[in-house]
Amino acid sequence: MTRSASSLPLPHILLVDDETAITENLAPLLARAGFRVTTAGDGRAALQLAQNQHPDLIVMDVLMPQLDGRAALRRLRQSGDWTPIILLTQVGEAVERAMALEEGADDYLNKPFDPHELVARIRAVLRRARPGQPPLAAAWKLACGPLTVDRRARRAYLDEAELTLTPKALALLEYLITHPDELVSRDRLLDAVWGWDYPAGTRAVDTRIAELRRALGDDPVEPQYIETVPGQGYRFVGQVEAGR
Amino acid sequence: MNNRRRSSWRWLLPLAPLLAGAGLSLLLYSLADRNPTVYLSGQLSAVAFALGVFLALLLAVGLAIGDWAARRAETAVSQAAAQDRRRFLRRLDHELKNPLTAILAGLANVSAAEDDDARATAVHSVTTQVQRLRQLVADLRKLADLETRELEYAPVNLAALLEDVFALAQAQPEADQRTLVVSIPRAPWPLPTISGDRDLLFLAVYNVLDNALKFTQTGDTIELRAAEDDSRVLIEVGDTGPGIDPADLEHVWDELYRGEGARGFPGSGLGLALARAIVLRHGGQTAVRSRPGQGTLVSLRLPVRR
Repeated sequence: MTRSASSLPLPHILLVDDETAITENLAPLLARAGFRVTTAGDGRAALQLAQNQHPDLIVMDVLMPQLDGRAALRRLRQSGDWTPIILLTQVGEAVERAMALEEGADDYLNKPFDPHELVARIRAVLRRARPGQPPLAAAWKLACGPLTVDRRARRAYLDEAELTLTPKALALLEYLITHPDELVSRDRLLDAVWGWDYPAGTRAVDTRIAELRRALGDDPVEPQYIETVPGQGYRFVGQVEAGR
Repeated sequence: MNNRRRSSWRWLLPLAPLLAGAGLSLLLYSLADRNPTVYLSGQLSAVAFALGVFLALLLAVGLAIGDWAARRAETAVSQAAAQDRRRFLRRLDHELKNPLTAILAGLANVSAAEDDDARATAVHSVTTQVQRLRQLVADLRKLADLETRELEYAPVNLAALLEDVFALAQAQPEADQRTLVVSIPRAPWPLPTISGDRDLLFLAVYNVLDNALKFTQTGDTIELRAAEDDSRVLIEVGDTGPGIDPADLEHVWDELYRGEGARGFPGSGLGLALARAIVLRHGGQTAVRSRPGQGTLVSLRLPVRR
């Protein structure tokens, strides 16, 4: 099995959920999408598999018996293992976001999700991953040219001058800058930043993006930071670095 | 109401010994030779002790009665809560049953489909029901979140918000066959800016308007209007729909409640419950008036200053 694994170029995904209904249905779907899939039913089994098989990415539920997803993630990170992880939970509230930052997951996806969205996220995280290094999503400070975001203090600066932003706009900037070069749909931004769907939700996103662009002095025609992808969403186009 | 009546009657109870004493006194007085003078004597220490015993008994009885009353009230509250919970679970069970039944039937149709068209139709119907369940779960989460969620207070331009809500309602397919009217005061001054969470307030007003769209028929009129006095803004949605049965009226804000006339309509049954929760969190009030056969008027009152 090890031999066949090394000869196959397919990315190896470890899928962890105690609901067999989820693993049974997602595993073949991920396999069809071009991944090699191993499944586990709880956090402890996941840790063992992670150590023995070194998957390229772990997709993990949070509420599980034995060892829950959050605890498993913490243990992995404490041991210096930076295998990319997508946690299947929602991070909406400011407190939760700070906690998520400490945890060091690469991305979050809220149940119930469209399985194709999971495939897209896996691909994006794999593309973004820097082997052996903490992900941008776990960095306390981020920089892109003259723009810096201090996530601990919940502040953003442009050329050292603090930007005046509403909490939503700041959260939006934080989400986009931690997912650079990734096409993010308005629905996904609503889910990640607002935590809810709204009847006029996509317009609410556009309003905040406009606020963000005004504050950043970003020209939508020739964007330095946030690009509009017509009919699809937004993309953070700047080169992002983790600061300290 | 029942409780209040009982507690006021209870205060007549102390009159009973008073009346009995007065009656006995009158009787003894009328029989002059049977009304001897009685002298009570005792040591001061004994009197002090007896007084202490008497007061202690009085206090104990008072406390016991207080406890008993509190326990009764608590039981009544917890019984009401348990009843609410049971009712909610029954409704939830009902809301889940229908889409699940449709999904089971749809899946059977998928596996038995003889051509691509039949399969596509079946898959589409299953997807629709899954979306319905998804919306239900999302709305339930919103409702649960609203209790604890930190609101993002910012100045909200209500006139602009109502215009946006109206525009979105007008874009709904049902809007084509109804007359939609919006009336937002501009003179002598525009609606005040209020402090609130714009996205949530939008959701509240939209849900009320969407409800009116859902329950009216072709040719009906729906009006969205607003007014203000110095302290509050009143937002109203009136419709010329079928109206709500008086028996259902007090329940329209309940989670998942469906009146007799609301069976078979789309929606999670949480729209108005969410609207009310949002308005309450902004320190406001909600009300509904309805006349069967004439229509319904839902009003949301929001404080201008918090």
